[in-house]
Amino acid sequence: MATKMATDPAECPTPPSSQVQANAAEPILALRGVTKRFGGATALDGVDFDLLPGEIHGLVGENGAGKSTLMKILSGVHTPDEGEIVLRGEVVQFSSPAESKARGIGMIYQELSCMPALTVAENVFLGSQPTTRSGLIDWKSMRRHAGEYLGALGIDVDVASPLRTLSLGGQQLVEIARVVYSGASIIVLDEPTSALSGPEAKRLFAAMNELKARGTSLVFISHFLEDVLAVSDRVTVLKNSRKVATLSNNGLTKHHLIQMMIGRDAETLAESYEGGVTLPSPSTSQPVLAVEGLSLAGSFADVSFDARPGEILGIFGNLGAGMTEVARVLFGREQPTSGTMLLDGKPIAPKTTREAKRLGIAYLSENRRATIFPRHEIFKNITLAHLDEIVGGVVRQSREVAIAGDLAKRTGVRPPDPILAAGNLSGGNQQKVALAKWLTVQPKVLILNEPTRGMDVGAKREVLDLIKALKAEGVAVILISTEPETVLAEADRILVMAKGQIAKEFVAERVSKDLLMSYA
Amino acid sequence: MVQEMPQGVGAPLGDHVAQRTGRQVALNWASRNARLLAPLVTLIIMFIFFSLVTDVFLTTQNLQNIVTQIAPIAVAATGVTFVLLCAEIDLSIASVATFTGVLAAWFWVGDTIALGNWGIPVAILIAAAIGLLNGYMVAFVGIPSFMMTLAMLTIARGLSIFVSAGKPIFEVPPVLKQLGSVSSQILGIPVIGLVALAVLLLGEFTLSYTKFGRYVYMTGANREAAEMSGVNTRQVVMMSLVIAAVTAGVTGLLFVGRLSSANPSAGEDILISTIAAVVLGGTSLFGGEGGMRNTILGLLIFGILSNGLNLLPNIPITFKQALQGIVLLAALLLNVFALRIERVQTRNE
Repeated sequence: MATKMATDPAECPTPPSSQVQANAAEPILALRGVTKRFGGATALDGVDFDLLPGEIHGLVGENGAGKSTLMKILSGVHTPDEGEIVLRGEVVQFSSPAESKARGIGMIYQELSCMPALTVAENVFLGSQPTTRSGLIDWKSMRRHAGEYLGALGIDVDVASPLRTLSLGGQQLVEIARVVYSGASIIVLDEPTSALSGPEAKRLFAAMNELKARGTSLVFISHFLEDVLAVSDRVTVLKNSRKVATLSNNGLTKHHLIQMMIGRDAETLAESYEGGVTLPSPSTSQPVLAVEGLSLAGSFADVSFDARPGEILGIFGNLGAGMTEVARVLFGREQPTSGTMLLDGKPIAPKTTREAKRLGIAYLSENRRATIFPRHEIFKNITLAHLDEIVGGVVRQSREVAIAGDLAKRTGVRPPDPILAAGNLSGGNQQKVALAKWLTVQPKVLILNEPTRGMDVGAKREVLDLIKALKAEGVAVILISTEPETVLAEADRILVMAKGQIAKEFVAERVSKDLLMSYA
Repeated sequence: MVQEMPQGVGAPLGDHVAQRTGRQVALNWASRNARLLAPLVTLIIMFIFFSLVTDVFLTTQNLQNIVTQIAPIAVAATGVTFVLLCAEIDLSIASVATFTGVLAAWFWVGDTIALGNWGIPVAILIAAAIGLLNGYMVAFVGIPSFMMTLAMLTIARGLSIFVSAGKPIFEVPPVLKQLGSVSSQILGIPVIGLVALAVLLLGEFTLSYTKFGRYVYMTGANREAAEMSGVNTRQVVMMSLVIAAVTAGVTGLLFVGRLSSANPSAGEDILISTIAAVVLGGTSLFGGEGGMRNTILGLLIFGILSNGLNLLPNIPITFKQALQGIVLLAALLLNVFALRIERVQTRNE
């Protein structure tokens, strides 16, 4: 596919393939025909991958395309069944993450591995603190050097303050500084932008470019194609365990990438909303939930809106805009400092999540650790929220399994086997289990926080279809997301939150992604 | 695809199960039950070993002895199982047990307050109140259960000494004496054992067949997720500590019956024995996994080991405690290995 594009540039605007470029410099790291199997399943199939000195190399693909396996081979977690790893011209084998680290490959995982209670400086030097001649920790030089390292990456923070006082993006930059300091010349970043706000991501990209300018090579694994395109020199696309192509990021567009990732025509996917959507005229039904001047000190202030049956209210904003906190207050997890909530016209003030649940409010958290019991069966995960309704006096598992089995099927959980432990499912399927939990008894108000995060295109579609079906059945859905596409795809009305306040409401008008993001 | 939901109800489950081979089913079953199989293996090995090596072990009278010895601990272990499943701990059970026993005897003697046999339920109510205080402080105020129950350990112990003026009380309600005597039997089973069995079964019913039991498991497995599923986790934790205190109280009464006296400075070793028995059975100290079946196995292991070692010839009596510890350690190692196999098996599924 790549070759064809390169030979026929007039017909296809896709940029030329990268082979030309690859010859220009010796790769610092190369995978040659790497294959990895788990039991019967092939996770990587004869994949070639090369990383040049001082380049940012994007790695994209749908869930299950092989991105994580490739990353785990680079980090020494897995060893390839076939093929070889060539590092600085030398064939190497990593039998453990420590070996890969010793060879200068640094990993930045999605889940940060820093110590929130220690200071920024201590985190930069974690495990390798400078010492004075008497063997004690040299605090002074540690602080000074930490400041220098971070400054060089364009990060301006107080190195003596505890790491937890930094934003998530700040903590991530500190972790990157640590990996660089520990001597890594190759850095692999796994979904580094998934939890970052726009400005934070920009700061990360600036630091990545700074590292690149100093000759460090970076592998950037992400679902966020815009982010990959914003910063990568080349992009490798994986699909079904195989490499589709490695392309120079020169005129490359999101459409091209999606097309290669899924092997279908991107136009039909309606994945991209640059052109915008037109919101329907608002529902005339009475609001089931009305919120007036709701505030939670330190999180959000003076939030007012209503949710109507048979309607999806989208709330968009960057991370930290206060959407999650609003949802937690509605669900009784936190008590508002002021404001009123009306359910069917009657004031409510749920003190516990149990009370909110009984009122007919359901909330799906964005944090999988707050939704899933990984070591317990899927059916127990699903029935927990409505045990009162499912079992009378005595719990009978057969009844639970039957009910959970139906719901697992309805939400498209794969495999739909209710007696499997939930932790055995992939992330997207765990999310479906968490959603299924709220469908045993139909809620009046269903609040969904990032219901499709981390899902592949197909799973996303299934969940969005299910949400639409619930709306058609008269549920008032509140759909919270930091991804504009998700909100644009399904919402009937859209609120934009910024810095704890409602910045804009879109009703019955044309909204584009750009417009939406301009208010966040 | 959403439209076709109603027709397909229940179908995929059947298909999926049918696809599994017999061997896989057996492996899955074993891995799911690793937490029960390991202690069961330990128990069987011990039972066979002591039966073969000693003449006395497998006699009716000795088995009755074992039952009488573990019965009081079994009751407290039931409550401790609830607390550990919630990922909490209760260090005050031994002191609460002693205090409850002392109170029942003190009310019976009646120098200050004479309640006669009514002193027994009143003492249990006081134990429940102690549990409620523990639970409130842990679940609603936020004191870690380790600290709160450590403080309560001291308080309850101090109150036992205060109430009894530091001296053992030898006049105790005859009902308790009758209950605790080895000679009171029904069909050859000591009554105290039947009481313990009833409590264990009640615990099993509550944990496995009631909503509260499910909430206990889920709260221990992931408290935030339980809370976000609309479970009132604070109430669940508080009630578990109440249950632990009440069962500890009953244990105290059984001890008073067995010893025919209430000694304010005795019974401290109940704490370690009880927690050891529960953990030996395979219930996790970190919550969410295990249960009454595990606790029953753990109690039997603990009881048979303590009893059997005393029957072994040629072992110096002074070495027996160390030996008991070593065997317990071996049993714990077996549990850990079994769970490791379970994890690998689950990952490969």
